[in-house]
Amino acid sequence: MTTLALAVRDSGTMLRRNLLRMRRYPSLTFMLIGMPVIFLLLFVYVFGGTLGNGLGGPSGGRAAYANYVVPGILLMAIAGTAQGTALSVAMDMSEGIVARFRTMAIFRPSVLTGHVLGAVVQTMLGLAVVVGVALLVGFRPDAGAVEWAAAAGVLAMTAFALTWLSVALGLVADSPETASNLPMPLVLLPFLGSGFVPTESMPTAVRWFAEYQPFTPIMETLRGLLLGTGVGHHAIAAVAWCAAITAVCFWWAKALYNRDTTS
Amino acid sequence: MSTLSLALSDSATMVRRQVKHMRRYPSLTLQLIGVPVLFLLLFVYVFGGTLGDGLGPGSGGRGAYVDYVTPGILMMAVAAVAQGTAISVAMDMTEGIVARFKSMAIARVSVLTGHVLGAVLQTFVAVGAVVAVALAIGFRPNANVVEWLAAAGVVAMVTFALTWMSVAMGLVAKTVESASNLPMPLVFLPFLGSGFVPTDSMPAGLRWFAEYQPFTPIIETIRGLLLGTAIGTSGIAATAWCAGIALAGYLWAKRLYNRQS
Repeated sequence: MTTLALAVRDSGTMLRRNLLRMRRYPSLTFMLIGMPVIFLLLFVYVFGGTLGNGLGGPSGGRAAYANYVVPGILLMAIAGTAQGTALSVAMDMSEGIVARFRTMAIFRPSVLTGHVLGAVVQTMLGLAVVVGVALLVGFRPDAGAVEWAAAAGVLAMTAFALTWLSVALGLVADSPETASNLPMPLVLLPFLGSGFVPTESMPTAVRWFAEYQPFTPIMETLRGLLLGTGVGHHAIAAVAWCAAITAVCFWWAKALYNRDTTS
Repeated sequence: MSTLSLALSDSATMVRRQVKHMRRYPSLTLQLIGVPVLFLLLFVYVFGGTLGDGLGPGSGGRGAYVDYVTPGILMMAVAAVAQGTAISVAMDMTEGIVARFKSMAIARVSVLTGHVLGAVLQTFVAVGAVVAVALAIGFRPNANVVEWLAAAGVVAMVTFALTWMSVAMGLVAKTVESASNLPMPLVFLPFLGSGFVPTDSMPAGLRWFAEYQPFTPIIETIRGLLLGTAIGTSGIAATAWCAGIALAGYLWAKRLYNRQS
């Protein structure tokens, strides 16, 4: 069997392990879905009327705001799952199962790959639920099948990048408690971008940060694909950010995992 | 020494204990101040421009919104301190110090009274910090001294009521963890009221809840006192809610405390 085939097989086994864990402990999945759904309901039903009126132009209050806010909520859902992944990795590292895996003849990075692929599957399921709720509360995208597929691709790409980051954060944390706190800024980034309000409504310094942080081009790309607003250069920036985060964090996670001396 | 003067002296001792706690462990106080301040900055600098423009005709963007949102943030600060009190009471109950107090010749209720009065002091520290930050970022109340004092009175009244409720929650909780979760709805109530956006911008079912929940008349009263908006019946409703919550919380807490031996 070639190295690649072994790597794929072992990663598949580890993915199955993570999917089994998801099925056996659904409470974490519900919590990861629950938080973005609560924020969606809060921002659409409580703040939506006022924010919709404040968006300017021919906006139609709550209905217009439901369309505007969904991409931000989707990114929040991805960040929430990333937080869960960091916790899951840290628990694996502290509970000694990884030391056991290291004594076995398996492809070393497959443990991490299993976490990443499992998290991407979990994220896509979570996103489907969030989109379902969004459609119920008035989200009305005008995307065709190609645009939906492209949007799903952008979400998967973002989930993949942020999951590698959270795997690295889970490995660098010295306890599961720390691991659950380290990815917290990821959950806040959609707020400090164009997720909930346009960046031009922010004061200069905040606007500058909001325009140049990674989540803004991703959200603008999603908005463009699903709602027909202009994508412009955002798609290139989104792909570049995701590729860079994935590459850096993959190597960082790999280095941390290989250096770890728990075995 | 009469029973009343004994109760007062014992309560003062317990307040001193709470103040020492606050001074020795300032991290909790800083956290209780930090969360409302973060929300204030988030809602003013990130959402403030859009929310201010959406408040209706004649509203002046971020400047108008900082005035609008500050009373809601103050209520959030009060609710956060109440959450801290529930944790503090639960810790006292689980760590055995209360069993020790019960064996001493002190007014039984003074332990709870100490928590309540200590929390009121802590709330005023937190509210003072929030008001200072609000003023620094553009909050411009047009209240005179009497109106400021009346607003402080409303805040004290709300704090007193919510603290008795959170003391009861701290006593009813089996663990410190559950004590920190029980008062969580209090922190969310300003969102589901007129704290951050006017209730008439909400859909019918939600608007009905927002208009009749306790925090809305309290927030509207503070807004009226500090910014000169109409108070109407909100002042009476706020007082009635606070009296009702304080009485219910006090009786519930006293019963739980006496029952736990």
